[in-house]
Amino acid sequence: MTAVTEIWTYRNLVYNLAQRELRARYKKSLLGWLWSLINPASMLLIYALVFGVFLKIPPPVAGNGRTSVYALYLFAGLLVWNFFNAVVMGSVSALQGSGGLLNKVYFPPSTPAIANMLTVLLQALIEATILAVIMIALGNVSATYFIFPIMMVLLTPFALGLGLFFSIYNVYYRDVGYLVGIAMSLLFYATPIIYPLSQVPEEIHGVPVRAIISLNPLTQFVEWSRDAFYNLRWPSAASFLGTTAASLAVFTFGWIVFNRKARNVAEEL
Amino acid sequence: MTDTPAIIVDDVSKRFRVYKNRPSSLKERVTHFARDRYDEFWAIKGISLEIPSASVYGLVGHNGSGKSSLLRLMAGIHRPTRGHITTHGRISALLELGAGFHPDLTGRENVYLNAAILGFGRRETDALFDEIVEFSGLMDFIDAPVKHYSSGMYVRLGFSVAVHVNPQILLIDEVIAVGDEEFQRRCFEHLYRLRRSGVTIVMVTHNLGLVQAMCDRAAWLDHGQLLAEGTGPAVVKEYLSRVNEIEAERFEEAERAAEAAELERLAVEEKAAVAAAPVAALAERPVLLGKIEIFDRSGKPTRIATTGEPLTFRVHFLCRREVEEPLFSFAVENENGVLVANPGMRRKQEIRRTAEGDGFVDYAIESLALGPGEYQFTFAAHDAHGTMVLDKRERAATLRVQSGDEVVLGLVDLQGRWQGVTGEAREIA
Repeated sequence: MTAVTEIWTYRNLVYNLAQRELRARYKKSLLGWLWSLINPASMLLIYALVFGVFLKIPPPVAGNGRTSVYALYLFAGLLVWNFFNAVVMGSVSALQGSGGLLNKVYFPPSTPAIANMLTVLLQALIEATILAVIMIALGNVSATYFIFPIMMVLLTPFALGLGLFFSIYNVYYRDVGYLVGIAMSLLFYATPIIYPLSQVPEEIHGVPVRAIISLNPLTQFVEWSRDAFYNLRWPSAASFLGTTAASLAVFTFGWIVFNRKARNVAEEL
Repeated sequence: MTDTPAIIVDDVSKRFRVYKNRPSSLKERVTHFARDRYDEFWAIKGISLEIPSASVYGLVGHNGSGKSSLLRLMAGIHRPTRGHITTHGRISALLELGAGFHPDLTGRENVYLNAAILGFGRRETDALFDEIVEFSGLMDFIDAPVKHYSSGMYVRLGFSVAVHVNPQILLIDEVIAVGDEEFQRRCFEHLYRLRRSGVTIVMVTHNLGLVQAMCDRAAWLDHGQLLAEGTGPAVVKEYLSRVNEIEAERFEEAERAAEAAELERLAVEEKAAVAAAPVAALAERPVLLGKIEIFDRSGKPTRIATTGEPLTFRVHFLCRREVEEPLFSFAVENENGVLVANPGMRRKQEIRRTAEGDGFVDYAIESLALGPGEYQFTFAAHDAHGTMVLDKRERAATLRVQSGDEVVLGLVDLQGRWQGVTGEAREIA
């Protein structure tokens, strides 16, 4: 627990590191901040074109009973994924990238990962706001929007826990970073982001595929985001409890492993 | 507060792993199958120290003695393998100036970032910002990205931040030896000010003069072990005498070998010259310079001298025919080939004798003026008018000069005496 209070005393550093990343990221680019929107937008466009138009994945009808737009359905899931992916991968590179600094000054080794998480969180909130604005414009409005912040409160420690776990092992074995990269692209397709969970067959050759996919905690987060902005439904209590448990467990595990292994991190980097 | 030491190092050891061929990937680890292949290396071996609060503490020792490692342990960057380090007070470490500067950010943004790395809050930084910038003298460039800074500007800003974050303990690793004279002076002034205000300063340095002048206490580390601990001047003295001893041994051994080889060469040359003995050659080289001896104050031959001590040079020579009043001289060069001195006999001023056969001349120095360093001596014999070189031995002897109890800076000790304090003696603050 001392590690937690330590982070609190170094909160200003976390904030400054996050600021540094945001400030330095788009320096010297003409469009600057716009890139942080153009990037996800282009990704969204490509997926919408390939899966929505070419492959014709049918989007469910939205909560207001009229709207049925694949791109928006995709967006609600994709922003969850983008956040998760950026936290995990960003944690790995953040720790690796601060090796020089950790050798010169003492600060908690988890601060770069936390700072990265903050910048990514800001991005996710901007994207969510854009989605909400579009949805409001389409008349798809409900109190279920408030699920989103709750979901983020649970998703953040989940993603950060995984990120910290992989980042510390990556210090000792650089392959971890590459392996995580591959695992992430597998996970992307193992999570119902570009397709609705209902499209997944109940079972293939006796394997209960849909049940397995829904056990993926990320599936729940993606579903919640869609429930919040698209379907306008409240998630089930079972889903809520399961997700909370998964989030707490993953974070605690990642945090403990990280802090145990991080004792000599400055020497290894 | 002043009674509790600022830092207590309690029987601390630190082991580093030196990977021979580090399995930095899983594949290698699997294929090698064996466990990590590394050598263990103890950088610090069972050191116990107490650093009194509000004092200046120096860590001295050779490269690789573990003093920087110890500083890192104190800073919390590395953790001791064994033992404990207890610190009281906020630590600011200057292991590298401007660590954590982001090249794309402006000086202003980096000041905030660097202050945060050193554990400083935003509002606290706001309050000190002007002072930091003023100290660094970079007012005009504070809003330019630091990548456009010169290395000197970089360092100035880094130092300025590090000393202004109100540390209670300041750890400095040989970093003040940067920047121009003017900035260095300001750095030291600031360090003195910090010391007066009760900041504990621990510094790793090779500058022994600094330790003597500034450190209340000092520790001397060697191969990870504590060899001496005490007041700054006492530790420096002990360190210097040991260093001199070791160097003297090493140096004398090498010199002895070189001298033996040289004497052999001389003997061969002499024999050849005598054997051939053409009249013309004899006319050209009637004098052959031989062995060079150097004696210390007690008349013992040596190759190590101490600044301020008496020293005598003796040049042996052989005259193969009667030579009228030969003159002798020698040139002193330092490591950089700078001619430091070139004493020579002058006509009708010194002992003059017509020589034939073996002989020697002495050059006696009452108090050696040369500062610490290595010097090469070239000896020459001239004819009576000093116009013709009869024989010359280039770099025939090497002398190592060490400083005595007082550290001598510079090439020579002018050996003057300060005097003339008039009026009432005043307390110097």
